[in-house]
Amino acid sequence: MGISNRAKIRMIKIALYITLIVIGLVFIFPFIWMVLSSFKLNKDVLSIPIKIFPPTWNFKSYYDAFHYSDYDFPRYFLNSFIVAIFAVLLCLFLSITAGYGFAKYKFKGNNLLFTIVLSTILIPFQAIIVPLFILVRKLGMQNSYLGLIIPEGLTAFGVFLMRQFFYSVPDEVIESARIDGANELCIFWKISLPMAKTAVFALTIFHAQWVWNLLVWPLIVISTPEMRTLPQAIALFSGVYFTPYPEQLAISVGACLPTLILFLVLSKNFVQGITLTGLKR
Amino acid sequence: MRKASYYDKLQRWGYVFILPTLVFFSIFLIFPMLDSFRLSLFKWSLIGPKTFVGFKNFLKLFKGGRFQNSYLVTLHFTFLSVIIITFISFWLSVALTSRLIRFRNVLQSMIFLPVVLSMVAIAIVWQFMFQTTGLLSVIFVNIFGLNISWLTSTRTAPYSMVIVNVWRYTGYYMVMFIAGLLDIPQAYYEAARIDGAGFWGRLIYITIPSLKNTLVLVFVSCVIFSFGTFALQFVMTEGGPSRSTEVLSLLIYKEAFQYTKFGYSAAISVIYFITLLIFSVTQLRIFKSGTI
Repeated sequence: MGISNRAKIRMIKIALYITLIVIGLVFIFPFIWMVLSSFKLNKDVLSIPIKIFPPTWNFKSYYDAFHYSDYDFPRYFLNSFIVAIFAVLLCLFLSITAGYGFAKYKFKGNNLLFTIVLSTILIPFQAIIVPLFILVRKLGMQNSYLGLIIPEGLTAFGVFLMRQFFYSVPDEVIESARIDGANELCIFWKISLPMAKTAVFALTIFHAQWVWNLLVWPLIVISTPEMRTLPQAIALFSGVYFTPYPEQLAISVGACLPTLILFLVLSKNFVQGITLTGLKR
Repeated sequence: MRKASYYDKLQRWGYVFILPTLVFFSIFLIFPMLDSFRLSLFKWSLIGPKTFVGFKNFLKLFKGGRFQNSYLVTLHFTFLSVIIITFISFWLSVALTSRLIRFRNVLQSMIFLPVVLSMVAIAIVWQFMFQTTGLLSVIFVNIFGLNISWLTSTRTAPYSMVIVNVWRYTGYYMVMFIAGLLDIPQAYYEAARIDGAGFWGRLIYITIPSLKNTLVLVFVSCVIFSFGTFALQFVMTEGGPSRSTEVLSLLIYKEAFQYTKFGYSAAISVIYFITLLIFSVTQLRIFKSGTI
């Protein structure tokens, strides 16, 4: 009985490993295929019989992808970086200040205002693109960085997250700083903010990823080629039927790299971030 | 007395801290939301005159096959995605947190990888794999003898979208489940083991009840994500073939920015918003358990 039980557990263990490894491979395989195929020649990407590894390595695809006459990909990378950085900064600024205000001050209307802010979590971005576009156009921000950055920098979830976090900062610390004569902004900047590092980090990673990937808003707001963001440019680039396959894949690999590197360096924070930011759009 | 009033004054600093958020949110989230209700009552091409048409846009919506088709396509996509993603990610998390498994981090990272990739890049890669001479097609022909036209048949294209969506998001929800599982005190399991509970007993009486909050969170967020899908369909099929993958966000985009029917598009947005609102509110009512 004892032995057969142990044998049974061993069988389960082996079966579990095999299943998990197979599933794991299924999940990484498309990415590996993407990287390998970006080094193939155009004729080898979709050839039959299938070639997993490039028969001849074609490093030119990366060079070509960045030197296209109609598509200025270095510029699109730059645009995407600018938008991502400033949208994240805006998101952090608003989330941190509001989260702190809601968590640490008992002013009239605190609950009501917080409920209003939080309820905007229920407004899906796709449901407001039309009126938002009209507004942005009226404000003269069409086809500008600002028109991308401001709408992409707002998330009620950030406010919610930071408020939760600032609750855990003990009031006594703030009180004693007040008694020492520190003013409110100084307390916020020097005492409370450093304590919220983990949450700030998590919010940064997640919001950056969302902004970096967003396709629909740039498609609407941006009208001239030099203002395109990366996802938008890639979607257009691949939609043209004569674009060589390896170039399409090379630029796709390029678009994945920033977030991938972020993930490899900070994989612990990613996981921590998900548990913190359970409900992100 | 004096001290109290000084203290009260201090509390007003809260307004200073929340002011920027209130301003930005009112202008760029709340106002557009309300404005979409107003716009939905007009016929407007952005450049020409705006004419008030009352509820005509909505009548047109409910009569028009295109909107109904989109709505059903979106529901179908959401329903399948949510069921499959929740199922797979739950079982993966149970398997990965099992005491029998080592190298959890490596396996977890492998499954999580698609989450960090760019959505447009994903769409492009899968588009290649779905081609007639693409990897997936060839594998299916050679192993299962099935010749599937992944993206060119109205019957299979919606399912192809679901496959990519599942591949993309499973890792994300798996990590959420793992976090929930690791929060369950080991003592519960020890006690159950002493009482002689087997794997299924522990799963039904300990794991699932303890994961209730996580389940709700996964469910709600997965529905909202899937309902708003855009990039996949935009890049891979542009809604085709024969509008079989034309999801709501894509229709909203097309009606406004390709056909310049801004009022009509706003009416679709309103329905979209109300659907998700009803869903979220009933969800939170049903599971009111202090998650949010």
